[in-house]
Amino acid sequence: MSKVDVNVNVHHLTRVEGHGNIVVDVKNGELVKCQLDIVEAPRFFEAMLRGRPYYEASHITSRICGICATGHATSSLRATETALDVEISEQTELLRKLLFHGEIIDSHVLHIYMLVAPDFFGAGSVLPLAGSHPEVVKRALRIKKLSGDLCEMISGRHTHPIAMAVGGFTHLPSVKELLAMKERLIAAHEDLDETIALLKTLPWPDFQRETEYVSLQKEDEYAFIDGVIATTDGFTYDLSDYRQVTNETLVPHSTAKHCKHNRDSYMVGALARFNNNYDQLHPRAKAAAAEFGMTPIVTNSFLNSAAQAIEMVHCVEDSIQLIDQLVDRGIKEEPLFEFNGKGGEGVGSCDVPRGILFHNYIIDDDGKIEGANCIIPTGQNYANMEADMRALVPQILDRPEAEVTHLMEMLIRAYDPCISCSTHFLKVDFV
Amino acid sequence: MDGSTLIIGLGNPLRGDDGVGVRVVQTLATYDLPPNIRVIDGGTQGLGLVNLMEGQQRVIIVDAADIGTSPGQFVRFTLSDARLLGDEKSLSIHAAGLREALLLAQALDMLPPEVIIYGVQPLTLAWDSTLSSSIEAGLPGLVSAILAEVACEQA
Repeated sequence: MSKVDVNVNVHHLTRVEGHGNIVVDVKNGELVKCQLDIVEAPRFFEAMLRGRPYYEASHITSRICGICATGHATSSLRATETALDVEISEQTELLRKLLFHGEIIDSHVLHIYMLVAPDFFGAGSVLPLAGSHPEVVKRALRIKKLSGDLCEMISGRHTHPIAMAVGGFTHLPSVKELLAMKERLIAAHEDLDETIALLKTLPWPDFQRETEYVSLQKEDEYAFIDGVIATTDGFTYDLSDYRQVTNETLVPHSTAKHCKHNRDSYMVGALARFNNNYDQLHPRAKAAAAEFGMTPIVTNSFLNSAAQAIEMVHCVEDSIQLIDQLVDRGIKEEPLFEFNGKGGEGVGSCDVPRGILFHNYIIDDDGKIEGANCIIPTGQNYANMEADMRALVPQILDRPEAEVTHLMEMLIRAYDPCISCSTHFLKVDFV
Repeated sequence: MDGSTLIIGLGNPLRGDDGVGVRVVQTLATYDLPPNIRVIDGGTQGLGLVNLMEGQQRVIIVDAADIGTSPGQFVRFTLSDARLLGDEKSLSIHAAGLREALLLAQALDMLPPEVIIYGVQPLTLAWDSTLSSSIEAGLPGLVSAILAEVACEQA
């Protein structure tokens, strides 16, 4: 028999001003309140860029997020390059793709092992899991080390991709470094296979809700950088028309804007990419998808985490191919872009770990940024997260309140939400 | 790796005084440090710190911290001196910070033999790419203290 009243209120305080609240209120068996409030996109995005020279934008915006630094930097560079009509070389394109794969693997492995796995192991967080299953956590850290080293090899430093510049790179990896990395990527097959083997045994909650999935798309590759905006409802848009997809609107209960396109909400992220671009996945990644029994269109949001694991497999394989291409071509020093006194407007877009990200800049003829806009993936997912919550709650009302709470947390975690203003602010109690 | 020291500055320079750790390592990087002392801008990478610290003999971390003093003052402490406060539950890997990284490294027995933290009391963490004047004023003292600690080890 269903309980008539359920009250879930998860108040997760991030260390600064952010929120992370899940509020569910059921009275007399009816859902009266169901909402989510996480941190909004960086509000001062435009303020921090206005008046700054174009070449600083990627370095500034890469600081927005320590997890998606390359994603922000690459989107920023693509916006600037489009605005200033900068052609990039094939070498730059290949290196950016390789670097991007590093960040995707880096972010996904953390999310899967540090946040999702503890849920399934019944551990409150990764800390008890490190005690009970140290080999699982150490595997995660091995993969993370590999992806971190891959990023560092190309971008020059941990955390922030300082070697990335408008039109190219200020630092290039050597062929020797690339070949050593290729060996390590091949050696990572075992850890990836074990990751898939572990994840496929997990009892993924059975929850289906149809929605629209939005991602970048390219004909000949699984798109992470550039392409067109594609949706599973059959729409495609040029990047410059991104606002026709995002349609940001204010909602009363949240400080963050909500986005919707063809339906009341849409979803971005690994599952959206999987649903739109399954055909372009590497065969090994498709084999991993088969292990989960996943073929498009997958409508279970919890499986976003499985889609992330599938993407990790894809990114490792594609990285190996990219290195082969780079080594075959040979690494060459290339001239960087020189500003020619002509400004413009441009949109840059990447499908970062959490989904499609847009940067839009207007640059004046002095090379200074006149206007800027940024729409982050998590912002686009808010409406869809809430729609999922509203659909899931009535299905699980007969369960104990603690289980309802736990499932709601798992659902939101599956989206891997980005608290983009997170800091490292530490609270200390001296003993 | 014998005697190696890694000085890690943490924080987000776009969040006001949260950027103090990054500023300190940027300053330290301009000094002619011995080759076994490295400095790194650790940004806000959270659990990635576990990998960063791995294999180091000594790690010195500089980070904004609520240490209950007036803004700009700092406290040097080790893990046995303090309890790092936080929430076990999290909705996002973005919420993971120094505390989580240190606890995870500890759980996996991967902590460097020596971990020293310089916590600096911030005034504001609002979106802003400058440090408060009280933090700026405290910088020379903080940098000297770290240089003295590192030099001491050399002797």
